[in-house]
Amino acid sequence: MAPRSQMKRKASTAAAEAEAATFSDDEFGDGVLEGVLSDDSEDEENSDDEAEDVDGQDEEDLDSDEVPSDPDVDEKDADENDGPRYRVEKDANGGERYVYDEIDPVYDSDDSDAQDPENTIGDIPLKFYDQYPHIGYNIDGKKIMRPASGKALDALLDTIEIPKGWTGLTDPATGKPLNLSREELELLRKVQMQEIPEEGYDPYPEYVPWFTQDEETMPISAAPEPKRRFLPSKHEQQRIMKIVRAIREGRIQPYKPPEEREQDEDEEEEMYDLWANEEAQPPHVMHIPAPKVAPPGFDLSYNPPPEYLPNKDEKKKWEETDPEDREKQYLPHGYDALRKVPAYDTFVKESFDRCLDLYLAPRVRRTRLNIDPNSLLPKLPRAEELRPFPTVGAVEYNHGTRVRSVAVDPTGQWVASGGDDGAVKFWELRSGKQMASIRISADEPVNVVRWRPGSAILTAAAGQDVYFIIPPMLDQEVQQANRAALDTGFGYATNGKQATLTSNGARKDPPGTWARPGARLEDQGVLLKITVRADVKVINWHRRGDFFCTVSPTGQRSAVAIHTLSKHLTQIPFRKLPGLAQTAQFHPSRPLLFVALQRTIRVYDLQKQELVKAIQPGARWISSFDIHAASGDHLIVGSYDRRLLWHDLELSARPYKTMRFHPNAIRQVKYSRNFPLFADASDDGTIQLFHGRVHNDLMTDPTLVPLKQLKGHKVVNNLGVMDIDWHPTNPWLVSAGADGTCRLWA
Amino acid sequence: MGRIKKKGQSGAAKNYITRNQAVRKLQISLPDFRKLCIWRGIFPREPNNRKKANKSSTASTTFYYAKDIQYLLHEPLLQKFRDQKALEKKISKALGRGDVTDAARLERNAARPEKTGRPPYTLDHLVRERYPTFVDALRDLDDALSMLFLFASLPSTPAVPAKMIARCERLCLEFQHYLIVSQSLRKSFLSIKGIYYQATIQGVDILWLVPYKFNQRVVGDIDFRIMGTFVQFYMTLLKFINFKLYSSVGLVYPPKFDQNRDESAAELGAFTLEGNAAKALADASVQPMITEGESEKSTDPKTQAAVNKLIKQMKDTGVDGQQDVATTSTDAEDAAIDKFEPAAPGGDILPQPVHSSGDPGQLFANCTFFLSRETPRQPLEFILKAFGCKRVGWDAVLGDGAYTTNPEDPAITHQIVDRPIVQAAQDSGDNQTAQKLGPNQRMPGRIYVQPQWVWDSINDEELKRPDLYAPGAQLPPHLSPFVQSTHGGYDPTIPLEDQEPEEEALQDSDEELESDEDEEEEEDEKADGNLAVKAIKGAAADGMDVAGSDDDDEEEEGGEGDTTFGGFSEGEDAEADDGEPEEEDPELQYQRELIAEMTGQPVAQKPALNPKAKAKADARKKLLAQAKEEAEDIERAKGMLSKKKRKLHDQMMYTNNKKSAEDQKLREKRRKLEKQKARQAPA
Repeated sequence: MAPRSQMKRKASTAAAEAEAATFSDDEFGDGVLEGVLSDDSEDEENSDDEAEDVDGQDEEDLDSDEVPSDPDVDEKDADENDGPRYRVEKDANGGERYVYDEIDPVYDSDDSDAQDPENTIGDIPLKFYDQYPHIGYNIDGKKIMRPASGKALDALLDTIEIPKGWTGLTDPATGKPLNLSREELELLRKVQMQEIPEEGYDPYPEYVPWFTQDEETMPISAAPEPKRRFLPSKHEQQRIMKIVRAIREGRIQPYKPPEEREQDEDEEEEMYDLWANEEAQPPHVMHIPAPKVAPPGFDLSYNPPPEYLPNKDEKKKWEETDPEDREKQYLPHGYDALRKVPAYDTFVKESFDRCLDLYLAPRVRRTRLNIDPNSLLPKLPRAEELRPFPTVGAVEYNHGTRVRSVAVDPTGQWVASGGDDGAVKFWELRSGKQMASIRISADEPVNVVRWRPGSAILTAAAGQDVYFIIPPMLDQEVQQANRAALDTGFGYATNGKQATLTSNGARKDPPGTWARPGARLEDQGVLLKITVRADVKVINWHRRGDFFCTVSPTGQRSAVAIHTLSKHLTQIPFRKLPGLAQTAQFHPSRPLLFVALQRTIRVYDLQKQELVKAIQPGARWISSFDIHAASGDHLIVGSYDRRLLWHDLELSARPYKTMRFHPNAIRQVKYSRNFPLFADASDDGTIQLFHGRVHNDLMTDPTLVPLKQLKGHKVVNNLGVMDIDWHPTNPWLVSAGADGTCRLWA
Repeated sequence: MGRIKKKGQSGAAKNYITRNQAVRKLQISLPDFRKLCIWRGIFPREPNNRKKANKSSTASTTFYYAKDIQYLLHEPLLQKFRDQKALEKKISKALGRGDVTDAARLERNAARPEKTGRPPYTLDHLVRERYPTFVDALRDLDDALSMLFLFASLPSTPAVPAKMIARCERLCLEFQHYLIVSQSLRKSFLSIKGIYYQATIQGVDILWLVPYKFNQRVVGDIDFRIMGTFVQFYMTLLKFINFKLYSSVGLVYPPKFDQNRDESAAELGAFTLEGNAAKALADASVQPMITEGESEKSTDPKTQAAVNKLIKQMKDTGVDGQQDVATTSTDAEDAAIDKFEPAAPGGDILPQPVHSSGDPGQLFANCTFFLSRETPRQPLEFILKAFGCKRVGWDAVLGDGAYTTNPEDPAITHQIVDRPIVQAAQDSGDNQTAQKLGPNQRMPGRIYVQPQWVWDSINDEELKRPDLYAPGAQLPPHLSPFVQSTHGGYDPTIPLEDQEPEEEALQDSDEELESDEDEEEEEDEKADGNLAVKAIKGAAADGMDVAGSDDDDEEEEGGEGDTTFGGFSEGEDAEADDGEPEEEDPELQYQRELIAEMTGQPVAQKPALNPKAKAKADARKKLLAQAKEEAEDIERAKGMLSKKKRKLHDQMMYTNNKKSAEDQKLREKRRKLEKQKARQAPA
């Protein structure tokens, strides 16, 4: 322990004791233990300290200065040592009272540990006592007063001269300043420097050659010295020779200091003709030369023609646009003299950009078509050269309700129309006069009307029934002939025979029932009725006028039916169809039946009863098609997905041309019989006319020319033109519209 | 059965390689890779299908052609780069050890191009590889020259060492010397960016841009290291090109360079060209000190005789570089190409090279120029010398190397001035006879012109009228000689009437008619250029005379009719246009006649229509109908095109329309300007 700390502690404890003594007077009345108490140990210590610290006298003096009461206490102690171990005082009654000093139980005489830090508070942190004047209790249960600390004077004095062993730390156990002695500091230093803290330890003792210091008279091994100890090494010789040989051959150059680099930088290196023996190589296929910078135009001139100078608006616009969006990176500017031309601001920037373009920009070879755009357009014949074709609406027939179907009779005199009101109306073609109106169905709309080729018999379909109508405005003779044609079939009585039994014995409905429609209708000229299994949407006659086919898309197995008028026979040719039948048509010259399903058109040979061909127009939903009458090899297909397709049956199963000129679905397509024309009807209320010439020469492709859009029908409920039909002899067209009118276009 | 092809084993997936892959493959740093790419001329590609080229990834990356990168693997520079890198590592290690002497020794081996301006490797082999023939190199010279001329005028900075700038400047001046000697400069153009030059060497047109002599402003983030990489290559390229060019005209390369004269800003004059054996060219260009002493060189018979003799001698020896040029030029006259005229019709006509009558290289051969203080000396000196002028003098402040610095030298025939005229001198109309002292002092017998005269003269290959370019005069517009006039495009050199389409001309004349009725006669003459309108107008003029004989009221009426008619015909509905006026006219006429009958007055002549306006309206209507019909036809034909072709057609039409809209705008502006001028002129 540093003497200084001793002194201090001693002084402070003494003071504490003095105070404790004064307190104890009040608390403990008896002085029984006082006699036992002695300050011997303290005194001894004290003397020891004094003996040790001869040189530390000054500090002691200082200490005594600090605590002025100390010398007094010391003196008092000294006095007490001499006299009896008690004092005589007067008690409250005026009697004598022996007050003994506190007994010192001299524990510490053989216990050095307990003495040094008088830790009386155990592990409790010191700060718990911050609010109190004392720190812990001594063995007598008296408060150990807090050592005097933090006094301004103390601090000042401490700063004036740092006492020996002072560390500035506070002992956490006692709250007293922690002083370290020189030995302790030395110990700490050793620990810190990772030396062995033991005193007098020598890490590097003198080496004693225990085994060789003495030469033995008898050697351990008697073997003679090996020869290699006296000969130069062969291996080393080999290695040296290797190096020598390398040096001789020049493989290893002896070290030469690098020659001084010529300081004269201007000295030109040797010049030679790089292209002395040049040979042209064709440029690599993948090499794309960098595009050259465009040569300057007139507007880049320092004094351009005045029309190249921007006006105020252009200037403002240029300035407002982002530099990256500008079409030109400069604004033309005119100067009236060369001396006024300033430096170009972004010169360095532009050449830097050019550098970036050269090495960063991906290069692509683009073929720029430097041709007249009009040369791309096909050379079409002029519309005037393709006359005649219908151009204007000539006659309007007012049906009243939505007209679903329209047909021109084979003589070209009459027009029949069938509408939503279930009535079939007959019109004179040229005048537009209504000749007759027959209401064939009360609740069902008339889906389709078609004339029988070669005679004046109209077939009309409403619901599941197909009616045969002889128009009343005809001559009696003609009417008679037609009646006969309709009635011949009754003799065959096929109706009963057809009702066959199915395999499981149940009686099956006949595919079609031929009957008289009833007296009311018979009076009006409706002479015959066929009832089939589902709603009939399409009727198409064979060119000879004996057969016709009906299509009822909802009829599943019996969707397509072929009827023979002369025998009153109804047949269902297909056991099963691979889709929903949309429409069907006979080939104009050969015994073929074309059946349009949703996506394909299938061609069946009726004689051989087999599939001949499947045409795939590529449309999603076919609405209608028509076969070119003259050649029989061409087909136009209209679809609900707005496409009109021309098929060459000889060429391919895929369309020859696809035309998409309608914004809405196409309902009907028709070839003209006598003219190279065809038309389509669309939901957008327009009819488009095309010139479609089929050449006799098989090598020439058909010529297709769009001619005209006939506009006139109004669009009602997203429906425009429902049906069209060509006039048999003239280039006229009759159309049926959803707006309740039919029109003749001429 | 062939093997099933694996994805990513062939085609675009193998042909292209991304930048990162390339860098990893070459095992170099990105800046080194960039350098190699710039020098080898390797550029990124755009594969047809990015997805196929990049393992189905659509991330935006840069693709290189895989073969390009493969070639780079064998590049000798790659080893140099690696050595350099190893050396740098050694130095830094030595420094880390604190071994200064070792570091210093290694440092001596290291090249410090940023200090010396010279890299430790040469790029010669790269030039040869990139340009297997000399003509290939010439083809790519545009960018090189522009960049070198720019660097020659840059201030030196840490990024651009002074040595590099000096080298650039020397190379450029050497190249200019070649152009002067070979007289292969063709065109030049003063733009707002700088001066464009075009030279034709071995049939290759080379166009480059030289900035004006100002301090260049460096804006934005410009990486001078990249530009420096380019310049390094360009310097090597131009060095070899210069060598080849010099040797092709029998000169020694490099020419002798006089440091002292260069320091006194002699520029071109600092070089002394030498022929392979003798040298006489230098006599003319670098002997100004001697000639300066002689006052009347051209008129002195003695000197003339001496010069003639000298020339004769040189012809005999035939060793002089310049004389070679002269002889070749005379040879060229003999070997001039013949003009091929088609003997019989029906054959195709092949384009033939234009053969000008006079030698453009000798345009200024007979002139002696003096450049005033304020004129840009370098470009003028270069151009004048390149076009045959041997004697160019300038003010002493412009630098060394002038033929004469004395402005009063009587040999001077042309003086180039670019200063405003001081007010007092305005009364002296003719610049040639004016003899005044003071600021506008003029020497007699001398032509004073502005610098633009030189440029316009060389571009047109003839000496332009100097009075148009007199000091203080309003200069004619300076036009770019590089613009090829296209059919239908706007050309400022052709009068407006010859190039505007019919409908524009109609509209134009219509506006004129509306704006000022009283100038009709004149405008008739003016608009004569347009043939289509002329006939109609001629017919209309007769009617006008008749109308003119009538009283004023009716003329006013006519004016009204004109305006209403104009309003009507502006309507777009052409079908209505077709029918109505014809129907209306007889009706109106009939009405008028009836009224006249009732009132007992004579029938008013052509009351509703100004005949001229009518003719014009008819013409316009016809045009409109025609245009409509054409549009319909096109629409019909377009319907028959496939989707792809229709899109292509639309695109082409879009660009064409855009171009023609620009031209139309220019024509409109010019029309307006001309009208303004015409209005001002009479006033």
